[in-house]
Amino acid sequence: MKHILNLYENINSTARNNSDCPAVILPEEIFFTVSIVGVLENLMVLLAVAKNKSLQSPMYFFICSLAISDMLGSLYKILENVLIMFRNMGYLEPRGSFESTADDVVDSLFILSLLGSICSLSVIAADRYITIFHALQYHRIVTRHRALIVLTVLWAGCTGSGITIVTFSHHVPTVIAFTALFPLMLAFILCLYVHMFLLARSHARRTSSPPRANMRGAVTLTVLLGVFIFCWAPFVLHVLLMTFCPADPYCACYMSLFQVNGVLIMCNAIIDPFIYAFRSPELRVAFKKMVICNWYQ
Amino acid sequence: MSAQRLISNRTSQQSASNSDYTWEYEYYEIGPVSFEGLKAHKYSIVIGFWVGLAVFVIFMFFVLTLLTKTGAPHQDNAESSEKRFRMNSFVSDFGKPLEPDKVFSSQGNEESRSFFHCYISEADPLEKAKACLQTTALDSEVHLQEAIRCSGRPEEELNRLMKFDIPNFVNTDQNSFGEDDLLISETPIVLENKPVVQTSHQELD
Repeated sequence: MKHILNLYENINSTARNNSDCPAVILPEEIFFTVSIVGVLENLMVLLAVAKNKSLQSPMYFFICSLAISDMLGSLYKILENVLIMFRNMGYLEPRGSFESTADDVVDSLFILSLLGSICSLSVIAADRYITIFHALQYHRIVTRHRALIVLTVLWAGCTGSGITIVTFSHHVPTVIAFTALFPLMLAFILCLYVHMFLLARSHARRTSSPPRANMRGAVTLTVLLGVFIFCWAPFVLHVLLMTFCPADPYCACYMSLFQVNGVLIMCNAIIDPFIYAFRSPELRVAFKKMVICNWYQ
Repeated sequence: MSAQRLISNRTSQQSASNSDYTWEYEYYEIGPVSFEGLKAHKYSIVIGFWVGLAVFVIFMFFVLTLLTKTGAPHQDNAESSEKRFRMNSFVSDFGKPLEPDKVFSSQGNEESRSFFHCYISEADPLEKAKACLQTTALDSEVHLQEAIRCSGRPEEELNRLMKFDIPNFVNTDQNSFGEDDLLISETPIVLENKPVVQTSHQELD
């Protein structure tokens, strides 16, 4: 992944100037702003849950897991920009051992945040599914203890996978496994949510609810899944094209937009709290209380 | 010999050229890409990808919308009047974000406070039924009525009822009724439910 993730640093090389698709370079201020906003927002979500005993339930643990993974993604961007700035200012050697180790660590952080984000979204969907379809047993199936165990196992798995992927990033099977994870998780989440939606629809049918209400469910589902797809798919396609057709002119033109894809992933970290965490009125109330208390102190 | 000289020429040329070239072989070697003889537009993958993504999402939205419109309506005429009494938009709005663990943990608690007393209680006074009708507006109303009426089989009805309870999911924001939110519930019955939920939360704190 290193060669993929650090590609945009080679933008200024003369090899790039030979192509007709100039790389789209976004100013670093945009990356910094987006990352810092993402970190702050997700930190607020974590603080709101940590400070309120009433919010410490499995559902909010899963939302916190998503917030942590989004925060890690934004932190990765900040760290990488800082490293690049140091390198441009000459404090770091271009190919020093410290620098390549730092690159590895930072890249594995990114892969970890990506995997963590995908796994958290799946776990949130599964939690909601159990809530609906096994509502009576939910309290027995999804306990706080089990939720923490599931999250620990997931994050340990993601960390191990992240380190493995970064270590073996030059091998094709690694890339295929990595990119296959995205459509698999998407299909899983899609199935769960569509099943829930069908249940809601059949119930709404029985109660003769206005079609506008059903429309809102459709809009919500589309937003949830659409944000996931729009933010992650460009990067996944970039990884695929990088591995299989790096010299092809069409692929090269797509890959010239790498920084735009990176910004989309950062935007996902900003949008996720709004469509998951802040949907809950309890968390919103807790959040407002926290902000107002800090404001008055 | 000549091969070695060739190699040394190459390396000297490389070092003499732009130092940015030295970045190349630590990272993936990407040579200059030739853009001649392209049949389609050079950004065709980009355009095709984004258009395909947008079409997929819009298609998904239309499928979901069509699902809401098609299908045979299945109404019980006897209960149609009570249905209209309730908040109809709840289920499609994916319900009130009531955590099921809180709700279930309150089962053993004050029955008067938790709206689940409607399901558990086997005594079936009419006042309780009416109170249940009001306070459980955010639930699957049809089955609630059945649960209240057929108090001899509370578990079964409870099962069916809970099956359609979709908590947590999106929204129904009781606090910001006027917000232009995606899934805000529209009917005023939501507000009546507020004190019940809040008291049940308070007792759990």
